Parts: sequence; C-alpha cells; structure tokens
Amino acid sequence: LDWILNSLSSMQEPINVPGSGTGTGTLIFGDLVQIKKQLISVISLCKERGLVHSVKWASELAFSLDPLPKNELPPPTFFTEEDAQDLDALGLAKSYFDLKEYDRAAYFLRGCCSQKAYFLYMYSRYLSGEKKKDDETVDSLGPLEKGQVRNEALRELRVELSKKHSAGELDGFALYLYGVVLRKLDLLKEAVDVFVEATHALPLHWGAWLELCNLVTNIEMLKSLSLPDCWIRDFFVAHMYTELQMIKEALQKYQSLIEAGFSKSTYIMSQIAVAYHNIRDIDQALALFNELREQDPFRVENMDTFSNLLYVRSMKPELSYLAHNLVEIDKYRVETCCVIGNYYSLRSQHEKAALYFQRALKLNPRCLGAWTLMGHEYMEMKNTSAAIQAYRHAIEVNKRDYRAWYGLGQTYEILKMPFYCLYYYRKAHQLRPNDSRMLVALGESYEKLSQHVEAKKCYWRAYSVGDVERMALLKLAKLHEQLNESDDAAQCYIIYIQDIFSCGEQLEHAEVSTALRYLGQYYFKNKLYDEASLCAQRCCDYNDAREEGKALLRQISQVRDQTESSTTDLFGPLSSNNTPIRRVSPLDLSSFTP
Amino acid sequence: MASVHESLYFNPMMTNGVVHANVFGIKDWVTPYKISVLALLYEMTTSKPIALQERRRLNKLILPLQQGPDLTLDQFLKTVEECCPQTAYAVKLRLHEMADGELKDMEYFFATLPTPFSAIDSEAYKTSVVGLFMRHMLLAYNKLSFSQVYKLYKALQQYYHSHYAQPGDVQVGLPTLAADDSDMDLTSTEDNVGERMEKEELDTAPLHESELSRGPLSQKQAEYFLARQAYLLKNDENKALKPSALQDELNNMLKFNPDFAEAHYLSYLNSMRVQDIFISTHSLLHYFDRLILSGSEGKSNGDEGYGRSLRYAALNLAALHCRFGHYQQADLALQEAIRIAQESNDHVCLQHCLSWLYTLEQMKGSDSSVLTEDSVKMAAHFCLPYLVSLGIQSLVQQGAVQGKTAHELMDALKDTDILHWKHSLSELIDISLAQTTSIWRMYGKSTMAQQQAQLLLNMNSLEQVNFGVQQNNTEAFAVALCHLAELHAEQGLYGAVSEVLKHLKEQFPPHTQHAKLWMLCDLKIQFDRAMNDGKYHLAEPHVTAIAALNKTEGLYRKAQVLKALNRTTEAYSILQRLQLYCEKTKYTEMIIRVMLVTAELHWESSGFATALPLLLQALALARQHHLQALASETILHLAFTQLMLGVPEQALGVLHEAMEPILAHGAVMDKGRALLLAARCQMAMAGTRSNGQRHAALGLAVQSLGEAAAYFSMLDCKERLRDVHYLQARLHHTLGQTPQRNKCAMLFRLLDQELQAPGKPLV
Repeated sequence: LDWILNSLSSMQEPINVPGSGTGTGTLIFGDLVQIKKQLISVISLCKERGLVHSVKWASELAFSLDPLPKNELPPPTFFTEEDAQDLDALGLAKSYFDLKEYDRAAYFLRGCCSQKAYFLYMYSRYLSGEKKKDDETVDSLGPLEKGQVRNEALRELRVELSKKHSAGELDGFALYLYGVVLRKLDLLKEAVDVFVEATHALPLHWGAWLELCNLVTNIEMLKSLSLPDCWIRDFFVAHMYTELQMIKEALQKYQSLIEAGFSKSTYIMSQIAVAYHNIRDIDQALALFNELREQDPFRVENMDTFSNLLYVRSMKPELSYLAHNLVEIDKYRVETCCVIGNYYSLRSQHEKAALYFQRALKLNPRCLGAWTLMGHEYMEMKNTSAAIQAYRHAIEVNKRDYRAWYGLGQTYEILKMPFYCLYYYRKAHQLRPNDSRMLVALGESYEKLSQHVEAKKCYWRAYSVGDVERMALLKLAKLHEQLNESDDAAQCYIIYIQDIFSCGEQLEHAEVSTALRYLGQYYFKNKLYDEASLCAQRCCDYNDAREEGKALLRQISQVRDQTESSTTDLFGPLSSNNTPIRRVSPLDLSSFTP
Repeated sequence: MASVHESLYFNPMMTNGVVHANVFGIKDWVTPYKISVLALLYEMTTSKPIALQERRRLNKLILPLQQGPDLTLDQFLKTVEECCPQTAYAVKLRLHEMADGELKDMEYFFATLPTPFSAIDSEAYKTSVVGLFMRHMLLAYNKLSFSQVYKLYKALQQYYHSHYAQPGDVQVGLPTLAADDSDMDLTSTEDNVGERMEKEELDTAPLHESELSRGPLSQKQAEYFLARQAYLLKNDENKALKPSALQDELNNMLKFNPDFAEAHYLSYLNSMRVQDIFISTHSLLHYFDRLILSGSEGKSNGDEGYGRSLRYAALNLAALHCRFGHYQQADLALQEAIRIAQESNDHVCLQHCLSWLYTLEQMKGSDSSVLTEDSVKMAAHFCLPYLVSLGIQSLVQQGAVQGKTAHELMDALKDTDILHWKHSLSELIDISLAQTTSIWRMYGKSTMAQQQAQLLLNMNSLEQVNFGVQQNNTEAFAVALCHLAELHAEQGLYGAVSEVLKHLKEQFPPHTQHAKLWMLCDLKIQFDRAMNDGKYHLAEPHVTAIAALNKTEGLYRKAQVLKALNRTTEAYSILQRLQLYCEKTKYTEMIIRVMLVTAELHWESSGFATALPLLLQALALARQHHLQALASETILHLAFTQLMLGVPEQALGVLHEAMEPILAHGAVMDKGRALLLAARCQMAMAGTRSNGQRHAALGLAVQSLGEAAAYFSMLDCKERLRDVHYLQARLHHTLGQTPQRNKCAMLFRLLDQELQAPGKPLV
C-alpha cells in the first residue's frame, strides 16, 4: 500500500509542479548569510504549518549554503499572547494533522484566534475536502459522474477567506491557501492576483511562487505581474523561463544564480540539466545528471528525464544501473516506472515497457510523458489502435504535446494513409515550427501523394532550419532526380556531401556513395570529365559504389581518348557541343534555389 | 484488502492498453430523479384504475421521461400533473415517505417494486420498455456499495426538499445549497443560470425538446441525446439546439467523459453547420481516432475490424473537404480511401467512394456521367439501393442539362421511385419530387412544376421520428418552395410570393446551409420586379447581392441593368464573356438567355438583320434542349425583329406558333408582350389592306391590346401600359371612336406624367 500513501502525501500540498520564470531583475545577493537566516526561519514557519514541499525546497537550498556560526543562528520565534493561548490546541491539532486526521484537527482548532492556528484550521479543512474527493472518486456511481466529484469544502472556504481577505486579515500563508482555493474553483484570474499578494506578504514561501508559475501562460503575462523585489524572485523567473521553453534565458539566469553562491544547490543543478535536455544538448545534460547523482544518490525526481537521455544515447548499462538503483529506492514512483519502461524499451521488450508506463499512469494519470512513451511502445508492438489511443490521451492532457501529434501522424503513415497523417504532422509542425523531423515527415507524406512542389518546399525548409537527421537534402535530391531535374538534384547532392563532411560525424555512408555516384554520372553527362573522375575516384572509397566508380573511370578515360583522337579530326563533331548548358562546379552554390 | 483497493483505485481502467469508457459496465445508474420515475411507474402498474384518457397521456410520457435528462422534482411533478393530477399526488406522497422517513424506507421501496420477472401480465414484464428500465434500475441499485446507498439517500432527501423549499415558486428553482448562502454567488450562479434556462426552455417547449441539461447524463441519456440531435441536424435543423448551445452541451459531456466518441462526431456535424473547418476537422479525426479503438475490440479481423473505420475515416475526410470546396484535398483523401478499400476488398466502401468520386467530378465541373453510370451498375450489383438511386438521380440531373429527351428522364425517375418506395427511402423520395419539379420548370411547363411542388409539400413525412409531420427542412423542400415562389412571381401574385418567402425564412434561417437557395430566389424576384417597373436604380444593388451568391447569374443581371441604362458597350463585353464561359460549362439555359439579351442590344443600334442569325441559333438550341419557355421567348424576339424588318405577315405567322404555349404556361409578362406584339403586327398589316378589311384588322388589334393592357396592369408595369394606351388611342382615333379615344388618351397622359421619361422599345 505504500504507493497509495505516497500519492496521498503528495496531495497534501496542492502544488508540486515544477517550473516558472520571468522578468529581468538584478540579483540582490549581497549577503548569503542573510539569505541563509531567512531560509532557516521560513523553514520553521512552514514546518509548523505542515507545508512539507516548501520545507523541502527551502531546506535543500539552505543545505547548499555554508553553515552559520552558532551566534549567527536566528533566535527561536517569540510567542504572542494569542500563540500562547492556542499552544496546546495547536500541538494537538498538528499531531492529528500529521496523522492525516484532518477533520479532527480542524475540530480542535475551531476556536483558536492566532494566525498560525487559523491557517492550520483552514488548511485541514481544505485537505479533508481533497481527501474525501479522492475517496469519492473511487466510490462514484458511474464513469460520467466522475468529473462531477468536487471538493465540497472549497466553496465554504472561499466564502470565509474572501471575507477575511477584504478585511485585510490574511497573512502570507492564508493568502496562499486562498489562492489555491480560487485556483481549484477555476477562478484563475483572481487566483493570480491573490498569489501575487501572497508573494508580497511572504516572499520566501516557495509554494506560492510555484502556484503562480502554473498560472502564468506566456511571457507577456509574466512581464505584467508586479512581483516583490527579493532574491527568490530570480529563482522564480528562471523556473518560469524553463517552463516557457525560453531555454537560453533560463540557462543564463541559473548561471548567474550559481555565480552568486548557490553552486552546490541540487535544485539548480537539476533545473539546468532539464533545460539542456529540452534543447537536446545531450552531453551537457548527461554530465550534469551524473554529477547530480553523485551528490544526491537517492534522488528520484527528474530521473525519468535522465533515463530519456540515456535512452537516446543507447547507454544500456547505465540505464540498467539507474533502473535497478531506483527500484531499490522506491519502486512505486512515477519516475521509477518511467525509467524501467525506458529500460525495457531499449532492450526491445516492448510489452514489459508498456506495462511499466501503464503503472506510471496509474500512479499519476496526468503524467504526460508516460502516455506518449506508451504510445511509442504500442507502435513498436504494432498495436496501432492502442497507440492511437495512448497518443490521444497525451493530447487530452496537453494539447501542445508535439510528440503525441507526431506519433499519431506516424501511426497513420504506417497504416498507409499519407493524406490522413498530414493533418497530424501539420499540427506537430505548428507546435515546433523549427523542428526538421516534422518537416521531413510532412515532405515524405507529400511525396507519397505526388504533391512534389509541397514536398520540395518541406525538404528545403527542413534543411534550412537545421536538419537533425541530415536526411532532408538527400530526399530532396532524390525527388529532383525522380523528376528529371538533374541540375537541382546535383546541387542538392553537392550541398549534402559538403554538409556531411563538414559536420565531421560518422553517419550512414551508403548515402554519401549514392550522392557521389549520381554526381559522377551527372558530370560525365555534362562532359565535365575532371569533376566526374574526381567523383568516381571518391566512389571507390565505398564498398557498394566501388564497381560503378571503376566503370565510370573506364568510361571517362575511353571518352577522353576518343576526344583526343577526334580533335585531330578536322571536322570533329563533338567540338561544338562541348559546353554544357548549365554547368555546375562543386563549389558554386550561390545559384541554388529549389 | 490491498487488492480490492487497488482494483478500484486504478485509474485509468486499462486492459491491454485499452481504456474502457465504462468502468463498471453500467450504462445507467440510480439518481433521485430516476427514483421518482420508478415511483411513477410503480403507481401506474399497481394503483387503482386510472381513467383511460389519463392513462394514455401517462403512457406517452414514459419514454421521454426515461430517456431524457434528469429533471428537477418541480418539473417532473408538473409534467405528471398535466396528465393526471391524482397520480402526481400519489408519486409525491411516496417520495415524501422516503425522503422524510429513514433509509429503510428507500430500501423498502426498492424491495416492493414489482419484479419484472414475476409480473407476467403487467406492463412491467421483463421484455417491455418499462420492465427493461426497472431491471436496469434494480441492477444498478443492487450494485451500490454501502456508502453509495447512503449518498443516494442523501441526494434523494436533498432533491425532495429543494422542491419543498419553494413550493409555490416555480420560476426560480434554486437548489437549497445555493439558496441558503447568498454570499456564494460567483460559484453558484453558473448552476442557477443553467437551471433557469432549462426552466424557460421547458415552459415553452414540449417535454422531449428540453434537452439542455445541467448535470452529467448517464450513458443511456447521452446516447439518446446524441441520436436525437444528429437526426434533427439532418432533417429539421430548426428544432435542433442552436450551434453554440449544442457545442456547450457537447463540451460538457466530453468533460465528464472524454471517451464518449460519438459526441465528437456530433461536434463535427455541428461545426459543419457554421462552416468551421478547424473544429470540424479536429472533431472528425478525433472521433475516428476513438472509433478505431472501439472497433478493434473483440472483432479485430475481417470486415468489422478497425480497418473498416480507417477506410471510412478517410472517406469522411474527403466528404468534409468536398463540402468546404477543397477539391484537391478531397481528391487526395478519396484516393486514399479507395486504395485502402481496394486493399481490403471492401466493395461496399468502394461503392461509397465511387459515388463521392462522381460527385466530386461534378462539383469540379467536369463530365462524370460515365463514372456515375458505372457506380449505378456496381451499386445495383451489390444491392445498395440508396447508392443506386442516388446515382440515377445524379444521371438524370446531368441528362437534363445535356438535353436528353424528357421521356428518358421521366422513365429513369419513375424507376428510382419504385426503388424508393420498395425500400422506404423517404429522403430520396423527397429529392426525386423536387427534381421533377425542377425539370418541369426547366422545360417551361409551369403547371406540371407547380403540381409536383405541391405534391412534395403536401406529402406526409415517412421518417419514423417525425412521422406525420408534413415538412422537414431538407434541401428538397427548400428547392420546391423556391420554385413555387418563382412560379407565383411569374403570375404576378406577389402577395403569395412574399408569404412563401416568409415561410422559407422561418424554415431555413439565414445561417443554415440551405438558406442560400431562397436568398437567391428572393433577389431574383425583386430584381425582375424592379426591372419590369423600370426602376433600374433599385435593381442595381440587387446585382451585387446576386453576384455574391451566384457569379454567372450576377453577371447576366449586370448586363441586363447596363443594357437598360444604355451603357451598351459595357453590356456587350460582359455578354461576350458570359457566353464564352457558359459554353465552356455547358450551361445551355444561360447561353440562350445571353443570346437573347445580345439580340436586344443589336436592336438598340437598329441592327435587326444582325440579330436574326443569333436568334435563330438560340431557337435551335432551345428546341434541341426542349426548353419551351425559352423557345417561346426566342420566337417573340424573332417576330419583333421581323416586324422591324418590315415583314409583319411573317412575324405574325411565327408569333402564332408561340402564342399557344405562352398563354398556357408563360409568365404574365410574356403573355402581355406576346399580345402587344400581335397587335402591332396586325396594325402593320392593316396598313396594307383595303378599307373594309382594315377596319376588321384594326378591331382585332384593339382587342389584343385590351388583353395586353389587362396583363400589364396585373403586373403594374406602367411603361408598357402607357405604350398600350397610346396605341389604343391611335387606333380608336383611326376607327373614329372618339369617346374611347379620349379615355385612352387621358389614361396615357396620366401615366406619361407619372413616368416623365422617354418611351422604350415595345417588346
């Protein structure tokens, strides 16, 4: 049952979604000691109120800073008259609260008047409602009623909190709770205002920032917020940049945070690693994750991202080690399940992989990545209908998931429906306009539909935005070749070859030989024998084109002999048409426009 | 313990990667409203005899109550009370017993329900509608866990007391929860608004149409809702929910159950209504993504597997693009569908593809009769009557345009009619009748056209759902009504025309898909009227509007206006362009009309000799295509030309040929024109005769003029009336009939003062 408990405890705090980021504030990290003091005091405040996730975040950050000398430690918080009055009730209630007996906790707090007690009172009621809602979901009368189950406590809480709010009686924590209630009631605009207010009242409470970050949807909105001028704001802004996929800005922010003295923070490290993962800088990301695991070997968060990287690099032993390690730590975590799924997928045991992704989804149905990954597994298993289903679910969770749209497109492509899949590829392309993979896929579909003009446009665009797989040009060249546009085809092959050699990586050679073979023939036809023989010689470097290269060389020398002999002829028939109409030298690229 | 917990907690419910929409396999569940219905059924089956009238009314209520969305107790009791107050009281009493008693009272109620298995004689027998419902409810009730039963009881109490909170106040049905705390407006308003709307809807509309619901629907209710709305969209769009309301409802449904794929399809249909390509494509693809899944369940191979839905998915996509006029896209999608269907040997699907293929070709404007013929043959071979007769109808349409003989077309239509009645294809019967109307009108047989239109309009619908209702709002009806309006306009019955148009406007509101038909028809009639009255400034703005709806027609009308305004050169160039275009698209009717207008242009420049060959060509074309109305009009033109060329005997001879059909079928305007022309010919001939004969001939002419005047005054066509009066006065003068002459002269003077404009040519 431990994973259930886990899911319950994660529910305790309403917000544990990473990500946010904004504005350009100058860093104010004059005094790391001061920051540390602030952190220590906020940790104790949050602890008293049962806000475990904020405690965790603040503690991690505090741990990364140097320890304070004894005389610098902040004094224990002083008691007001009210606090003293409520002390016993609060202690009792907190113990019930920790045992998840929320109603009981709320009952004993109902008469208390201190701010702390009030927050715990309201928070217990909120959590009690959430818990009941979850229980209800299991017990609802039917599937259609499921969406109908809601936290009945929310309305009452909102009424009480809004009264206090307009009277100005809410402290930072209570404001945060008020915001959460508003968000749960889908009153997003009001919620944003309240969260901003909460950050002003208590800047150090990370939970409020995190909630805010979920509600900010674009950069304009972020700029319009008036946020407190505090060092924690930079963390928020960096987080926000990561969420909004403004990776470059995010990396800059994190870099300056590191320079300001947070170099040991595992939180920052993981964020940077995720950012690198998002821009597909695999080596950097891998290095950071490895370092992270050294410092924090029992960490489970973000390990699914790590496993994705290992998967892409096909690093089987490392992935295997990671999977086994995580299972030992906690096998009922979403991240663990995803890692194991990736592990099985890499070993081509797709049934098992799908099983683990399913398990991840059972742990958290809104886990987007798992839906898409499961779709991929079903694709591998040729279970197209299940794959379509999985991708559709992913899209339902997040309409902007380009991988799911792309996956759907691939599925239909496999089902030989090139026109049908166009729609999906187009969707994916809309979401990632500069991703060559979608463009190549679009181009292939158009090519299958004999829409050559569109196909050419797609391939060329794919090349222009930076082709990852270096296939676009080759495909473009082949398309030109098919359409007998030999000049254009030759141009493409030339750029392709240049591209391949300039990037230096060892890719599939078979295709280079194709290009060389075609170029050789092309030059030969246009009577540019020097270039042709060069290409033919290069052909001989490749096994599959060696014979043809040799044959071409023979042909060239034959023709050369003939022309030499024919020049002695007074009326040499070849002399007049020795100039090709449009000659293309290997270095002349300027004229190329597809 | 752990395993039980797990099995319930696991969400989504998956086996083999398939998420089941229905967690517990229950299509229906017990709600307080359902308990009320059960109570009603219980009362009806057990209690003392109810009066026959009331029982009948109650019986009619059962199905809507079972299938409709949950009503509040107020609404429910009100509906029952309208049928039988006594039963309503009994039901209320029973509910009161339960709600004000204890949990055991509810349990007792379920225990005492007549078990459908034992009650063989009663209406609640296991296979009856009522019995089935009761069995569902009992099953659902028995499956409830302890806490669920308690929850249900609580809900019942609330349901009952919310009614009791404001017993008199029917207008504001606020639930108690919201009513007792006025501070919570923001969150509770939504619910109230929904409910109030529902109320209003219910007060105005009959019970089964108040389909705007608030809470979640059970699967049964949702299915019923979707089926009904889809049917209405197809057959009677006005009765369906408004597009936005329907979309809201669907979104609501999908929020509660995203796996309910059919809702996506309805959303597709709904967004087609408002021509929203974005949402319609999205919904269509989403629907098939879902369908592919459910199709693969169990029967994964052969015809019934998901391969089948793949084919139809592509086909539907083609249809979608076709409707939006994206012919190239449609073509690609169609080819895809055909290829997949061929690969899996699905002949039925292939037939559907073929029928779309020829439709597409036709829409693109190319000749597709060979394809259509093939389609008909193949469809007949595979016993697909719908496709067969659809193909034949399409062939008939093409044949009519290409000038096939009438008896061939009518024979073909008769054959399809036999097919329709045999298979009760009521939709196609409507289309067939509308098509006959159009064909008769094209041939210029107004009486036959009118008769067919009336036949269609007076026919009772054969659809099961709308049984007995006379008119649906399908395209066929719109076409027939438009023809009717135009026919009436031809006879100068403008009062009737405006009534028909008003009806059309009601039946097909401007945003619906067939509205363009009557818009064009309305504009044409107004344009013709303005032209006849000589109010060219009124006609001009109509040209723009017509051009927006139909480009060819717009150009033609523009030429007419330009001609009337004496801007001859412009008119001529437009006509030339139009003629070329129409010859390319084989639009014969328009070609003839263009020729006639061109001939009229020649008249203006006194080029009567040049007009002759044009008119003869037009006549030949009209005869070849059996277009009688146009042929008669051409003859009128021909006669006038001849008159002007100074051969009135010839002109009169030609005119006599056309006189009969014009008087029988023609428009009032044509009748008047023909008679006026006849009179002029007679006058011209009289000039050459001797005195005695001359008097008789002039007398004949006077008579013709009198008739023509009667026709023109019917249309209130003042210009022509003035000319007639002038001629009459001259004739009377020649004949020495002074009083008549003076009267006509006065009439002429009056009209002339009114018009204050130089006269126009007489035909």
